[in-house]
Amino acid sequence: MWVWFFKLGSPKWFYELSGKWLPWLIGAMVIFMTVGVVWGLVFLPPDYQQGFTSRILIVHVAVAGTSLAFFPLMFVAGTITLVWRMKLADMVAKHAAILGAWFSFITLATGSLWGSVMWGTWWEWTDSRLVSMLFQLFLLLGVISLRSALEDSDAAAKACALLSIVGCINVVIIKYSVEWWNTLHQVSSPVTTDASSPNGPEFWIATLIMIVAVYLFLSVSLILSTRNEILERERKAQWVQDLVLKS
Amino acid sequence: MSSAAPTTSSNFDTDKIMLTARELFCARDDRVLFKNLNFDLPEGQVLQVQGSNGSGKTTLMRILCGLNDSYEGSIKWYGQEIEDQAASFFSSLLYIGHRVGVSKVLTPVENLRWSCSLKQAVSDEQIMAALKEVGLRGFEESPCYTLSAGQQQRVSLARLIISPASLWVLDEPFTTLDTKGVALLENILQRQAHEGGSVMVTTHHSLSIPELTVLSLG
Amino acid sequence: MTEKQTTTSAAFFATLKRDLLIAFKKKNDIVNPFMFFIIVVSLFPIGISPESDRLTEIAAGVIWISVLLASMLSMDNLYRSDFEDGSLEQLLLSPHPLFFLVLAKNISHWLVSGLPVVLVSPLLAYMLALPEEAYGTLVLSLLLGTPIMSLVGSIAVALTVGLGSRGLILAVITLPMSVPVLIFGTLAVQSTLNSQSPLGYLSLMLVMLSVSVSLAPLASAAALRISVN
Repeated sequence: MWVWFFKLGSPKWFYELSGKWLPWLIGAMVIFMTVGVVWGLVFLPPDYQQGFTSRILIVHVAVAGTSLAFFPLMFVAGTITLVWRMKLADMVAKHAAILGAWFSFITLATGSLWGSVMWGTWWEWTDSRLVSMLFQLFLLLGVISLRSALEDSDAAAKACALLSIVGCINVVIIKYSVEWWNTLHQVSSPVTTDASSPNGPEFWIATLIMIVAVYLFLSVSLILSTRNEILERERKAQWVQDLVLKS
Repeated sequence: MSSAAPTTSSNFDTDKIMLTARELFCARDDRVLFKNLNFDLPEGQVLQVQGSNGSGKTTLMRILCGLNDSYEGSIKWYGQEIEDQAASFFSSLLYIGHRVGVSKVLTPVENLRWSCSLKQAVSDEQIMAALKEVGLRGFEESPCYTLSAGQQQRVSLARLIISPASLWVLDEPFTTLDTKGVALLENILQRQAHEGGSVMVTTHHSLSIPELTVLSLG
Repeated sequence: MTEKQTTTSAAFFATLKRDLLIAFKKKNDIVNPFMFFIIVVSLFPIGISPESDRLTEIAAGVIWISVLLASMLSMDNLYRSDFEDGSLEQLLLSPHPLFFLVLAKNISHWLVSGLPVVLVSPLLAYMLALPEEAYGTLVLSLLLGTPIMSLVGSIAVALTVGLGSRGLILAVITLPMSVPVLIFGTLAVQSTLNSQSPLGYLSLMLVMLSVSVSLAPLASAAALRISVN
């Protein structure tokens, strides 16, 4: 009986609950985003060493930090899908993979933009963070393409859940092995391990605000896309039809 | 949607009931295949599952075998949950699906040696005798890609003869068989029922087996 | 009737034997990936440089990447025909733990696709001007690395076995996962070339192999159940 509750009750419950949270989350996101962008990118004095490029770094660090959350999130969602068969977890996982791929891509883009100014090159294999982010992007694209290849949504949910779990373990192994690989090849690395050490405390506060803003952005977009997915998948359910009729 | 078989369980001792299915519900991509499906399968009975194309016969068979788990409801094996006694259930179960499980590269003997040894020890004499009974004498050592579809089906039928499994789940086993083959399979099914085993079978043939009950889907 | 039931080890060996038998009857499936491996390796000197100094530098990487590509090609056969003829369903319905049956299939696959590549690698290493002292390390690293790839790749193959047209999805899923093996395999050879001990890397690969042996068949088994569902 409780399986039924889980399967059918959850999406509705989530839809209603998230509907109440959304305005607050969006409000907080707007505030943090505005403060972060206006203060960090406009008013904060340019770093004495890095100049204006330190502003790219604020965005880059915030997005990169957030990108690391996707595989753990998908690991948890995948476990829930496989063990408790909650449909909601799969809906979240589906959009987490897509958002994660975008975040990884933006991390790589801002990272190489920053690198083009600081290191004089758009791509640097000796930076282990860039390399492992690249492979995280590949793994996420693998999950996305597996889902689009499987027609049956139930099979796709379970298959992607399993692949996300395997992928999460793999990302951790890749991260450490790439770091190791890197320390051995660091003959002429232009990368200092702590790239932003010469920055003042204001810079860190700005970055911190930006990180919170990006996390809020991530939550809001994940919730919005999950809500759409719920309406799409539960379109035959009574409450969705009532909802559509009401609006 | 579906009508349960007219099995009055009072006729049977409850511990003689092999499979009990209650309130089975299965939907595939928003389409309900069956709901509220109830039936009992006692020892010594052949249960024929009938229904039009797309009524979920194959899905039901796969659900009973544990190959498909997207359903609601309960299926019990001698009154207990299948998960609690998986090893005993799977060693008593023999399933032949649309894809009969015969590798085209191997010979009938090699195929049977492997597929039988997944469940129980089997000797070459048993395999030879079974192949002879299903009319494949002389084909024992030819690769299965040289055999016709009906002959490959007969290879899988040989497993029925060898197997001591008490529950057979057969999905459309008659499709490629000729008249002689149909008679042979009916004979084998009847023997299983006489020995106290049970069979779930989907087919559009009308079977001439006294122990037959019919379950209609859709 | 249960007293006649086979032991798990009997079922394990029956499956191993059957898969080897199938492999020997379908020689193309073994020979083609092997030929592919040798041809890809032979293309590198033509595409990059025939000078032995430059070849020495890239030899280990070239051999390792070619092994990855070849093993991916051969993986395709692992569950495919069993899925199509229904043998996979029989495997899933066995009373024995699927872990061991999947492991048997993986071992048999490695014996016919991984091992030949390992055995021929010194010859290719010679053609790529890899110094002799590194042969041993190369063979050992491949001996440890190829089964890891078979085991991990098996998960992706199991997930995609039901797909009608798979195209390159198997490659997209598996290749990124092989990064750690590639790193440690090539580092082991490099360190021998720099006259350092490769033992650290090899033992790391041994650890990875034991973790893969104990976990990957579980994931493959789960993936097969999902695909057959």
